[in-house]
Amino acid sequence: MKVKFFATYRGLTGCSETDVPAPSDVWALLTYVADRYGEAMRAKLFTPDGKDIGADAIVLVNGRNIQYLKGKETALSETDVVSLFPMVAGG
Amino acid sequence: MNAWVGTILRVDLAAKTIKKEPLNSKDAHAYVGARGLGTKYFCDEVDPKVEPLSPENKLIYTTGPLTGTAASSAGRFEVVAKAPLTGTIGAANSGGYFGPELKYAGYDGIIFENASESPVYLYINDDKVEIRDASSIWGKTVFETTDLLNRDCGESFKISCIGPPGENGCFFSGIMNDKHRAAGRGGLGAVMGSKKLKAVAVRGTGSITVARPEKFLDALTDARKKLKAHPVGGAGLAALGTQVLVNIINESGGLPTRNWRDGAYFPEADATGGEALADKYLVKNKGCFGCSIDCARVTRVPDGPFKSSGEGPEYEAGWSYGADCGVSDLAAICKANFLCNEYGMDPITLGATIACAMELSEMGVIPEEEIGFPLRFGDAHAIVSLTEATGKNEGFGQILALGSYRLAEKYGHPELSMSVKKQEMPAYDGRALQGMALEYATSNRGGCHVRGYLTSPEILGVPLKVDPLVTEGKAGLLKLFQDLTALIDSSGLCLFTTFGLGLPEIAAQYREAVGTDETDEEILLKGERVWNLEKHFNIAAGVEKDTLPPRLLREKLPGGPAAGKVAELYAMLGEYYQLRGWDPEGIPTHEKKSELGIAYA
Repeated sequence: MKVKFFATYRGLTGCSETDVPAPSDVWALLTYVADRYGEAMRAKLFTPDGKDIGADAIVLVNGRNIQYLKGKETALSETDVVSLFPMVAGG
Repeated sequence: MNAWVGTILRVDLAAKTIKKEPLNSKDAHAYVGARGLGTKYFCDEVDPKVEPLSPENKLIYTTGPLTGTAASSAGRFEVVAKAPLTGTIGAANSGGYFGPELKYAGYDGIIFENASESPVYLYINDDKVEIRDASSIWGKTVFETTDLLNRDCGESFKISCIGPPGENGCFFSGIMNDKHRAAGRGGLGAVMGSKKLKAVAVRGTGSITVARPEKFLDALTDARKKLKAHPVGGAGLAALGTQVLVNIINESGGLPTRNWRDGAYFPEADATGGEALADKYLVKNKGCFGCSIDCARVTRVPDGPFKSSGEGPEYEAGWSYGADCGVSDLAAICKANFLCNEYGMDPITLGATIACAMELSEMGVIPEEEIGFPLRFGDAHAIVSLTEATGKNEGFGQILALGSYRLAEKYGHPELSMSVKKQEMPAYDGRALQGMALEYATSNRGGCHVRGYLTSPEILGVPLKVDPLVTEGKAGLLKLFQDLTALIDSSGLCLFTTFGLGLPEIAAQYREAVGTDETDEEILLKGERVWNLEKHFNIAAGVEKDTLPPRLLREKLPGGPAAGKVAELYAMLGEYYQLRGWDPEGIPTHEKKSELGIAYA
């Protein structure tokens, strides 16, 4: 499956996207990403106690915010695209 | 008067008279300032049926009570007139340094009446105010005009001016200040041009007194801390600017593509986003007066066919020239945007008008000989050459200067103008963001994103998260956002302060600056009063009803998370009118007007 990184996450991962074997769900994917790209990325993706997804992390699965799917338990498959953003805004 | 300097300039451009009037303090209290106060003056003095480019239309500059103070990001001012593009109340807000300078010169606002026979500019140097000949700068671009006036008046003068499109009646010409900042939408530059008013040059050395200095300092310190700590208002906007939105809106399936014809996902969007802009062309970021957000981009395309430099693009301009025109060449997008600043044109409307022309051209309804070449989506050179032609009022640019509605109507397809009340909608597809659909339809100045930005909760999750695909709850949320936005615009603060601040912090700064003990809710009510007065004007002016282009109401999105969706406007509109206290046709009731103190209107 494809994972895309945007905004300041690109500086932390050194890439704009990567292909990974699909883990079971979003939580497993974020754990994989944090393990792969280091503590700075982990600090962005998770709350300080590591028990939840960070308040400023935006996670889209096929364009849909996981808030409106099943949150961190949203299941993933090989054809899914996950997009990861920090909180951004403009207008 | 605390937070105000107490004087309005009234300039009759036909009689060549300048009067200094006391600020109407009662209206300043009721309508806050800037957008609200300018609208109040305008509605009191101008017939809603006035022809926008006639001498009887007035052009009103107004500052807010917080403009020029030490409040957070308080550099804003407003220009109000009846808008040529839409026929609605035209209120356009700008930042930079001009607004504070006007207050330091001793003026809360300027009311321009009638029209001069020959080009003039207004010179303001504290107490010295003169109508001066502008024959030598008529025809000059915004940048040339600014440089020449700074040469003649002094480098410390702040300049607000129009370029040739404003002189030529371009329906989306803006009024530019500090070269790159714009009171951009609705064509207020053409109103200025119709009065033969080229510019306002101002220098002020005075100061502003606030009511309760110590409490004001506490309030602004609290606000600045919260802004700095916020991931967007703090480091986010400074790092990547507003163009960072390209990717998140695109990934969310909400980036309108090729005149909104091809859905809302542009595969090449990443090449046009804020990340690419920062990597390739960003020189530095900068801010307006007293701002800690520093969102503006100073950019330079160093070489190639689009070699150029300037500021921007902001997200909406990046979209209009990018995904909306099917263009992925960021250098071309930058150059087209720079040209809009240089000539003084609204890049949202012009980019969207070129996109509309591209669709009409591909359909074969615009003869190729009228454009001069086969215009197709994706043509990077065309967005630059047509922008320049419009700026110079040459060839097909003369047709583009009408805006997309009049262009599409001319060629028999007004339904392909992606506009509301003849003003082009910006970069968020209302089929994927249902709240934005309602916002576009009900905006008092036509298609617009800064009249109640529901993208913030729908996509960005600020200050709360709401599902973009549902209609439930959007009417109430939009009313709140619209009223709060009207309050912020009227105060002199930048709308971006909402990326960190809410009503309590904004109301606290207002309260201590002007010296009022009104509650947050009473202060928010002033925003609702402004919104209702604007609506009242539009109805009296005969503006068309609140709706959306047929494409949004009938053509389903082909893919992405909103696949199969149309804009479900009528699932929200009735509730919205009800919550506003308006009748089912969207007309404010006498009871609502009485409650807000505008029953006189």
